[in-house]
Amino acid sequence: MPILLEIKNLEVQAEGKKILKGINLQIRKGQVQTLLGPNASGKSTLAQVIAGDKRYKISKGEIVFENKNISKLSPEKRVKLGIALAWQTPPAIKGVKLSSLLPKISKKKPQIKEGKELLEREINVNFSGGEKKISELLQIIALHPKLAILDEIDSGLDIKKLEYISKTIRQALIKKKITLLIITHQGHLLNYLKTDRVNVMIQGKIICQEKNYKKVLRIIKKYGYEKCKKCKLLAD
Amino acid sequence: MKNAKNVNYWQIDHRIKNIYLTKGTVILSSPEAWRKYKWTRNYFSEKPKEGYFIWVKEQVNTPLSTCVSIGGQNVSQKLQNLLIIEKNLKIHLQGTCNVLKKNLLGTHKAQGKIVLREGSSLKYSHIHLWTEKDIVETNYEFFLEKNSKLNYLYRTLFTPNKLKASNLFNLSAGAVCNVKIGANCVKTKTEIKEIMVLKGNGSSGIINLRLVGKKESKVLARSRIVADSKAKGHLDCQGLLTDKKSEILLTPELDCRNKLAQLTHEASIGQIAQEQLTYLRMRGLSEKEATNLIINGFLGS
Repeated sequence: MPILLEIKNLEVQAEGKKILKGINLQIRKGQVQTLLGPNASGKSTLAQVIAGDKRYKISKGEIVFENKNISKLSPEKRVKLGIALAWQTPPAIKGVKLSSLLPKISKKKPQIKEGKELLEREINVNFSGGEKKISELLQIIALHPKLAILDEIDSGLDIKKLEYISKTIRQALIKKKITLLIITHQGHLLNYLKTDRVNVMIQGKIICQEKNYKKVLRIIKKYGYEKCKKCKLLAD
Repeated sequence: MKNAKNVNYWQIDHRIKNIYLTKGTVILSSPEAWRKYKWTRNYFSEKPKEGYFIWVKEQVNTPLSTCVSIGGQNVSQKLQNLLIIEKNLKIHLQGTCNVLKKNLLGTHKAQGKIVLREGSSLKYSHIHLWTEKDIVETNYEFFLEKNSKLNYLYRTLFTPNKLKASNLFNLSAGAVCNVKIGANCVKTKTEIKEIMVLKGNGSSGIINLRLVGKKESKVLARSRIVADSKAKGHLDCQGLLTDKKSEILLTPELDCRNKLAQLTHEASIGQIAQEQLTYLRMRGLSEKEATNLIINGFLGS
């Protein structure tokens, strides 16, 4: 399959501090890739930078989407190209109901079982952790992107919600051949979804790219992220 | 205007375009009410030249509506309005004041008294739509008799060149008053004054003020709650500045004259959070669309 997203030697700063230190990543069309890493390793920064967050400055490298350098494009232009990001911690927007946002981003109503009760509430205002995840997923499905980046969509969920989220991702995204980059801290979602490749990020660098995600998870569980560099399986 | 025939009182410039009577109501021009009902002279500050008189005597289950428009060049309206809701009635009123097109240099001055008799309830949505060359001054006084209830929503979607809006709310015992003022101030000098006087025991009121300062606007807002009795009052004033040259001055005042009263306030002025803009832009909205959505949400919150 052709390459959908390619990140080449990407270095990113925020407030003068280097956060991403030479990221290289390729995602092919239809793939499900996972980005694993401990807290503050730069996973969410990478997701935000791919989606066009101008609070971060690209000091080196480029982001190529469908053979086009999109590093300088606005977030809305990236959405039009087919990139959608589900935020880990989405902001509350007082007075704006989800039902008034959805028609602005899609003509089709997303068909999902849960989340209908969220439509008449103000976006992320007093949402529980699980409600935020469902709301984010609802918006991503409505956008019908080519690439969906799901940032910690599995964090803070009980088993029932986790099963629901993973089932919805499978039916509404994977079955429709939408390419996925799943960002996860604890890897819960990988108990429910298959991934084509797992990438491990530590301190702003991807230190491991491996197809056998089950082995990687087992090693991380056994030794922790700090031991990743030393692991024989994970090439530096 | 859509469904204009069903507007209970419709005035363009100085001419009454339509009066639509709903069963249980008396609707007249204010000058006619002055002639016909001498008791109304207790409410009008002077003999009115124009404006509406609405007297709701029986329960009306459909919303009542008024529309006062400016359609001609250099028109200067000076309205005196009077609305009386009789005891125990629950009424919904939608009022619109607007200019029909740009550059008419209209002046709209309105004084009004709104009386809610004992136990009555009024939900009043008051919408203003002006352009940057108009001048608007409004001065309304609300009388909430015992156990009456008022929900007053004032929204100005496009402000005039100069806006002076003043409201005084007088609450008797057990009366409840929720006031929501939202002004999208664009290229304007705006002065908004809200005073709520909690006169009766058990009365309670909230003033919720949302002001947006855009395109070199100067906005001055004074909100005051006075408690004369064992009552509760809360002021919530928030401003949003969207450019470097706009100014908002919020002055929340609490005047407590009874040790059993509880008065509180909160006030803040800020700018649109960059995170909110980025979030909405990552949903495909342009910066302008995202800004407008956030502002509309803010005004409605």
